[in-house]
Amino acid sequence: MGSRGNPVLAVAALALALALAGCAGRSPEKRTVVFWQFSPLTAIQPVLDRFHREHPDVIVQVEQLTWQSGREKIVAAIAAGRPPDLAEIGSTFLPGLVADSTLIDLTDSIPDLKSALRGWSVAEYRGRAYAIPWMLGTRALYVNTDLMKRAGLPAERPPATWAELSSAVARIDALGGGVRGFGMNSGEREVLFKKFMPFAWGNGGDILDSTLTRSVVASPQNIEALRFYLSLKPHSLLDRQEMLDEAFTRGRVGFTISGPWMLRKLPASAPDLHFEVALMPKPAAGRGTPASFAGAEALGIFRGSREKALALQLARFLVREENAMPLYVATGNAFPAAVAAAQDTYFVSRPGDRVFVEQLKTAVAPPVHPRWVDIEEILNGELEEAIYGRKSAEAALRSADAQIGALLGKQP
Amino acid sequence: MSGRARGAGIAGLLPWSLCFVVFGVIPLLAALVLSFYDMNPLRPDLTRWIGGANYARALGSPAFWHALRTTAIFVVGTLPVTLALAYGVAALLGRLRRGETFFRAAIFFPATLSMVVISLVFKSLYAEQGLLNGWLGRIGVPAVHWLQDPRLALPSIMVMDIWASVGYYAILILAGRKTLPVEQLEAARLEGMGALEIERRIVLPHVRPVLLFVVLLNTVRSFQIFIEVFVLTRGGPLDSTLTLVYHLYERAFYHFEMGYACAIAYILLLLVGLILLAQRRLIARRALGAA
Repeated sequence: MGSRGNPVLAVAALALALALAGCAGRSPEKRTVVFWQFSPLTAIQPVLDRFHREHPDVIVQVEQLTWQSGREKIVAAIAAGRPPDLAEIGSTFLPGLVADSTLIDLTDSIPDLKSALRGWSVAEYRGRAYAIPWMLGTRALYVNTDLMKRAGLPAERPPATWAELSSAVARIDALGGGVRGFGMNSGEREVLFKKFMPFAWGNGGDILDSTLTRSVVASPQNIEALRFYLSLKPHSLLDRQEMLDEAFTRGRVGFTISGPWMLRKLPASAPDLHFEVALMPKPAAGRGTPASFAGAEALGIFRGSREKALALQLARFLVREENAMPLYVATGNAFPAAVAAAQDTYFVSRPGDRVFVEQLKTAVAPPVHPRWVDIEEILNGELEEAIYGRKSAEAALRSADAQIGALLGKQP
Repeated sequence: MSGRARGAGIAGLLPWSLCFVVFGVIPLLAALVLSFYDMNPLRPDLTRWIGGANYARALGSPAFWHALRTTAIFVVGTLPVTLALAYGVAALLGRLRRGETFFRAAIFFPATLSMVVISLVFKSLYAEQGLLNGWLGRIGVPAVHWLQDPRLALPSIMVMDIWASVGYYAILILAGRKTLPVEQLEAARLEGMGALEIERRIVLPHVRPVLLFVVLLNTVRSFQIFIEVFVLTRGGPLDSTLTLVYHLYERAFYHFEMGYACAIAYILLLLVGLILLAQRRLIARRALGAA
C-alpha cells in the first residue's frame, strides 16, 4: 500500500486539478442565468445558442422541467430560497405565484413589449404584469371527415354552430360499430372547465365579473351552455384527454376538442385518417363567438432571483418572434405570443396550424385571481357532478356560484 | 471484533446512515415541526406558528375523512386478497416439479416494473376503447367504464395493485417455505397427514413470521397508495379514488398548504403505526396460541 503513495494526497491533488480545470474554462466576468423551462433541450438549445452569440458574456444554465413534476420542483426551489432566475410558468400556476407575490412586478420594465405580444390577460393582475407571455395555447375542434361523409354530412363544412354540432354528433353516433359522435372529457376533473367554458364564453358567459370580485358562474348564459354541453353526452365517448385523442386517431370519434399537438401526431400515427381542424362552434349563426380556452406559457422572474436583469434580458430575447417561432416549429404545442408570428410564412402552407392561430383571437383565458386554484377546483367539481348526472346544469352552476361567492366573500 | 474491524464496519455503514439521516430523519422531524405551522412554500417568510390548528382542521374536514375512508377501503380490499393469492401461488410454485424457475420469474416479473409503468399499461387496458373492453366486446359484453365509473374506479385500481404485488409477496412466502426441512414433511406424510393438514399444521406455522412481514409491508405500502391514483384517476371520478396521500399531495402542491399537508401525513403515520402494532400483537398472540 505504502509503495503506491499516499491516497489522501492523491485525492487532494485530483480535487485541486479539477478545481483548476473548472476555473480555467470560465473567465471571471461571465455571469450565469438559470432558466427552467418545459421544452425538450433539443428544441430550446439552438435558441439559447443564438442568445449566447448575441450575449457572449452570459451563460444560460438551462434545465428541462417535466409536466408531471415541474410545478413541484419550482415550489420546492422557491421554498428553499434558490429559485431559478427565469422560469416558464403555465397560466394555471401563475395566479398562485402572483397572489403570493412570488414573482416580481415587471410592468415598468417592459412597456415596449405591451403591443408586441398577445396574451397579457394571463400574466396581469389588477393591471400589473407579473410575467411576459411567451407561447400561447388553445384548443379547436377536430373533425373526422370520413365519419362526416359516412353520416351523410358535408365533410367540407364542419359544424359552425351548436345546432350543427349537436346534429352531426348524433348522426355520427348513430353509425354504430363502436363509433361515437363526440369525445367528452371525464375522469380527469382538472380539465373539465377548460372543455366546458369555451361554450359558456362563446355564449357571453364568464366565471367572475370584470372586477374579479363577484361570481357570475350561474348566469343564464352559462346554464344554457352547460345544458347544451350535457346534451352531447348521450352520443359521447367519455374518457381522459389522451384516450380521446387516441380514439380520434383510430377513427372511433367524430369530433373532439384538442390542441395543436395532434396536428403533428395524426399524419404519422394515422396516415389513412382524414380530418379537419375547425374553429369551436358558436351558439348560433348570428349570435356569440367561437370561443376557446386560452392557456399560456409565460416567463416569470422570482423575487429570490439572483440575476434579475439578466433574466429579463433573456426573457426579452426569447419572446421575440424569430426566437419563439423555431420553438413552435420544433414542438408544435403552443404558438408564439409575438404578434408578428401570425404572419409567419410557416402558416401559409399549413391550414391546420392556421386554424389555431385564428382560434387564438377568440380564445379566453381564465381570470388571474389569488384564489384561482380554489375557484377552479369548485368549478371542476360541480361540472363533474353535472357530467355524471348527479346534478342538473342549473343546480351544479348554482352550487358552484354559492361556493365561489363564499370564497370571494372571505377575501381581505 | 478488533477495533480496526469495528472501524471498517462503521465506515461501511456511514454512507447509508448519512443518507438515512439526511433524507429520512431530518425530513421526518422537519415535517413534524411544520405540521404546527401555517406554511406556504411560496412565501416561507410568512410562516407562523398555529399550534394544533392543522390537526384540528384535518379532523374536522369532510375531505380528510373521505380520503381516509377511501384509503381504508383500498387497504381492507387489497390486503387479504393479496395475501391469500400470494400464499396460494407460493404453494403452487413449491409443488412444481418442472419449470419452477420459469414460473417463478414470470410471477415475480411485475415486481421488477415501476408502478408508473404498470399504471400506464393499465390506463390503456382500462380505457373506454381499450384492450379489456375490446375482449369483452368480442363476447358480446358492452363496454365497461373501468376508470370513469365512480363505483368501479377504485376496485379497478385495487385489481391492478393486487396483480402488481402478488408475485413479490409470493416469492417471499416461497422462500419461507423452502426453509422447511424436507424430512419434516416426509415424516408428516408417513404419519398419514393429508396435503391440507400438512399445510395447516406444519407449513403455515413455519411461514408465519414471513406472513407477518408480508402483512406489515403490504399494510404500509397500501396506506401510501399514490402513484396509481396520480397516473390513473387523479382522485376522481367524483373523488371516488381520493386517497389520503393524494389528498395531502394536492393540499401541499396545489393549494400550497404545506403545514396542513404535514399534519395529514403525521396523522397517517400515527394511524399506520397503530395498525402495525395491533397486527403484530394479534399475529404474535395467535402464534403463541398455536404453540
